[in-house]
Amino acid sequence: MLLDLLFGAYRQRALTQLLLNPDSSYHVRELARLTGTTPGTLHKELARLAEVGLLSRERQGNQVRYRANRECPVFAELAGLFRKTTGLVGVLAEALRTLQPAPELALVFGSLARGDENARSDVDLLLIADCTFGAAVKALHPAQEILQREINPVLYTAGEFARRVEAGEGFARNILANPKLFIIGRENDFGKLAGDSSPADI
Amino acid sequence: MTLENLLAIHRLQTFEATPGGVQRLLASAERNLADARLSVLSAENRFDAAYKAIMQCAMIGLWAKGFRTATSQPGHHQTALQSLPKTLGLAADTVIVLDALRKQRNLNDYEGDPVTDAAVAECLAQAEAIISHTRQWLIRHRPDLLAREQ
Repeated sequence: MLLDLLFGAYRQRALTQLLLNPDSSYHVRELARLTGTTPGTLHKELARLAEVGLLSRERQGNQVRYRANRECPVFAELAGLFRKTTGLVGVLAEALRTLQPAPELALVFGSLARGDENARSDVDLLLIADCTFGAAVKALHPAQEILQREINPVLYTAGEFARRVEAGEGFARNILANPKLFIIGRENDFGKLAGDSSPADI
Repeated sequence: MTLENLLAIHRLQTFEATPGGVQRLLASAERNLADARLSVLSAENRFDAAYKAIMQCAMIGLWAKGFRTATSQPGHHQTALQSLPKTLGLAADTVIVLDALRKQRNLNDYEGDPVTDAAVAECLAQAEAIISHTRQWLIRHRPDLLAREQ
């Protein structure tokens, strides 16, 4: 894992929780419970991250609460890194692994893909797959708990999605034109599904 | 949460349903299911009709246990769906799917997101299953509610 190379386990888990929920602040014990870490070691990590300005510390009575610091110059890049790895993308990829038949494509669109989500934003997930809606919902259910966000799957077969793009439907066009986080498949796979003709086809 | 707890926090109210009331609601659910099968209708309306049938069965479940939702409270659809394991004995993972259909409906109705064929198919399949389940459940547990009224 790329992230294992860059960060220790505790730092990774703490940053995943904090950077992907930038509107929430956490007390050390609360964060330890959410991330399955021990408060003592986590406390040192948080203090260091706050020292360099990645996190902000807030005193509330006799409690110290930490939250991601959006003012930090590298906040957006770092949050993006976690979103694409251990955070959102990793969790969703893991949840979708059990889905049969395997989706041809899965991507997150909407506020989480744009990086302007708030604490209540849902995960908007486009799935191009031949499974039933019910199977997708059941596969994704455990991920809601981990991400602490609701997941709204939008499930199309490849044929139906291509037809809707072809018909110029706003919703499908909107997904094409806006930021996406790919879970399964890449940008050019998506282009093919959407009916783009690549130069090689002409 | 138990039904009694939901009553205590005013999500539910006590209610004594009549056989006529239950039978009318069940018949309405069946009409909604029949409409949901009409392929000439838009995906949105087919989805809506099937969803309505599901909700009507969830209400019948509550009625049969002596409750109804407090419609003055927000989220009464969610309350009705989440009561289903306690009312009609539905499996928890079925309720997960039904609740996802509820959220889809909100997105369709209030944000204009299109309904996918997969969502319509699922809603239809769930409506069929829950209507037949409700009928069977009433026969076993509350046959009095299916009896012809004097």
